[in-house]
Amino acid sequence: MNDNSREESNHANNHYLYYPDEKDVPTYLAYGFRPIFLLLPPYIVISMILWALVWSGYLNIPFMDNTLTWHVYEMLFGILTAGVLAFLTTGLPELFPGMVPFIGKRLKYIMILWIAGRVSFWFIDITGVYLTAILNLSMLLWLIWFAKDVVLDKLQRHSSLGYILVVIFGIETWFFASVSGHAITPSLDILKVALGAIVVLILLAMRRVNMESVNELMEDKDIDDIYIARPPVTNLAIFTVILFTIVEFLYPDSSTLGWLGFAAGAAILGITSDYKLKDEFILNQPFVLYYASIFVMLSIGYTLMGWDLLNEDIYGINHFRHFITTGGIGLAYMMVIITIGWIHTGRNLTSSIYTHLMIILIIIAAFMRGLIPFFEEYSSELYLWSAIVWTIPFLLYMKVFYKFLLTPRADGIQG
Amino acid sequence: MKFIIKILKDFPAYLWSGWGAIASIFLFIAFWDIGNQVYGALVLPSPLETFKTLTTMLQDESVWKEINITLYRASVGFGLSLIFGSLLGLLAGFFVTASIMSRPIVTILVGMPPIAWIVLAMIWFGMGDETVIFTVIVASFPIIFVGALQGTRTLDDDLKEMADSFKLPWHMKFFDVYFPHIFSYVFPAWVSGLGMAWKIVIMAELLATSDGMGASLAVSRSQLDTPTTLALVVIMIGSLMFIEYIILEPIKREVELWRD
Repeated sequence: MNDNSREESNHANNHYLYYPDEKDVPTYLAYGFRPIFLLLPPYIVISMILWALVWSGYLNIPFMDNTLTWHVYEMLFGILTAGVLAFLTTGLPELFPGMVPFIGKRLKYIMILWIAGRVSFWFIDITGVYLTAILNLSMLLWLIWFAKDVVLDKLQRHSSLGYILVVIFGIETWFFASVSGHAITPSLDILKVALGAIVVLILLAMRRVNMESVNELMEDKDIDDIYIARPPVTNLAIFTVILFTIVEFLYPDSSTLGWLGFAAGAAILGITSDYKLKDEFILNQPFVLYYASIFVMLSIGYTLMGWDLLNEDIYGINHFRHFITTGGIGLAYMMVIITIGWIHTGRNLTSSIYTHLMIILIIIAAFMRGLIPFFEEYSSELYLWSAIVWTIPFLLYMKVFYKFLLTPRADGIQG
Repeated sequence: MKFIIKILKDFPAYLWSGWGAIASIFLFIAFWDIGNQVYGALVLPSPLETFKTLTTMLQDESVWKEINITLYRASVGFGLSLIFGSLLGLLAGFFVTASIMSRPIVTILVGMPPIAWIVLAMIWFGMGDETVIFTVIVASFPIIFVGALQGTRTLDDDLKEMADSFKLPWHMKFFDVYFPHIFSYVFPAWVSGLGMAWKIVIMAELLATSDGMGASLAVSRSQLDTPTTLALVVIMIGSLMFIEYIILEPIKREVELWRD
């Protein structure tokens, strides 16, 4: 492709200067996100079914006699590594144009490592905790090694992403030390710390995804304005989330934590104020509302947790936490796979009834799961149906995007 | 009219941009809560207890009566300072001699501690409305006066000349050339003057009267009723923040928009 036509295509399409000259690369390994997006949605669907069978007693996996802990672990770390892999292998060559995209055989090996991590997780009672620990930790370690350019970058523009991954690696190691009896901290407490770190990672990553795609969207639609997700706003949100996480670990019942929950809720919601542009109105763009919904859900989660801590009549903090997990983090993954699924297969960001449904169903599922404390009498129905409703968007994703993921880019560029 | 519509149109976005500020207020409340856990409820009641006291207080009619008394004193004092401070300041700004002369006097007025004014006012006017209103005036007048003085002093001569050479009618000269400039100086001075008035009125009431919020503060202090004390403080800060951030700040933003 010559330089002129490259300039004509929009900016996210000409991100990498080099494409490796590996021969016979199948389409599904032509770029980092492809195999992940082919495997992650079905894995989420299958694992939700497996969990339903485990919780209802049809399937007997004792999970070292601690099913809840391992459920939380897998929903946090198992899915996280796939999401981060997609984000880094797709996003880094764009942030650092000199970087050679990670594709082909090497990508296949890393995917096998991720799959092995998932298999070892489900067979943990047979293969033992150490194998699971080694496979999953080495996956994360590889991701950090892959992201080393980010930290070594002289300008340090995106180094925070690298540092938070190192922190998450430390927390995962701590978790495995705890479940294998080498650390005394309760494993569930460590997972709450992990959740805080993952929210921080998501805030950092979404700031970049948000800016890249909202500006691209405006370019597509000839909206003449610029959207800037201001770093200080995100940093305030990150600061409050870190504070909440640390105080929750040290003093989980403190009333101070309640006020910090409100602070985190307000600070995260503040991120959405950047969508008010100087001249143009963009809140009628579906994708802008999709991105905003991530912050709204995270904010509802922290606010309700804060309210719970200050209110003696209600005990639902771990239910409310699902606004963050089922809602905010679920939406963040969904938006990452939708955004990359359009842009990096050489298409424009397009909303349709399917993308609307993917977002709305996750939001509905989060409300069903998070509001259980108010509808105790229906709790078993809500547990079941929220899981089902949450799974449907990933099935829809497979229906809409599989054909893009399995065919070359629409604009003819390699990758 | 266009001006007011623009302010109203931008108002929702302005309000929504306040989440960061709300977050930092909650962080402050969290630190307050730590203080409560360290020093105990007698020294520093918890925020939650304070807000509960506040809700009960606001349902009490007598509390509203005290608030109204204080509001009356603050607005009379501030209103008089606003009118005379702005007028005299603008006038003084037009004459170099007057500005040179007024400068040291303003320094004396600003430099004199408000507490000394209260003592003097108590001797002059006794215990009552006049003492409080007088103190409010002496405290906020110099701030507004200086703002207005700066506004006219810093008028751009080139702009004036341009307006003259284009033979602009006087009303255009005033509303399009002088007014935006002067107002951008006077308005912030009004805001700080108001903040000063609101603080001084409480202090004067606490020392010199038997009614109003300042007096309620004195009563709650003598009864060691810290939750009520803090609830009163919350009312004062809350009302000041409401006036400053919800009413004045949006106007100020519109007024200062031409500067960039």
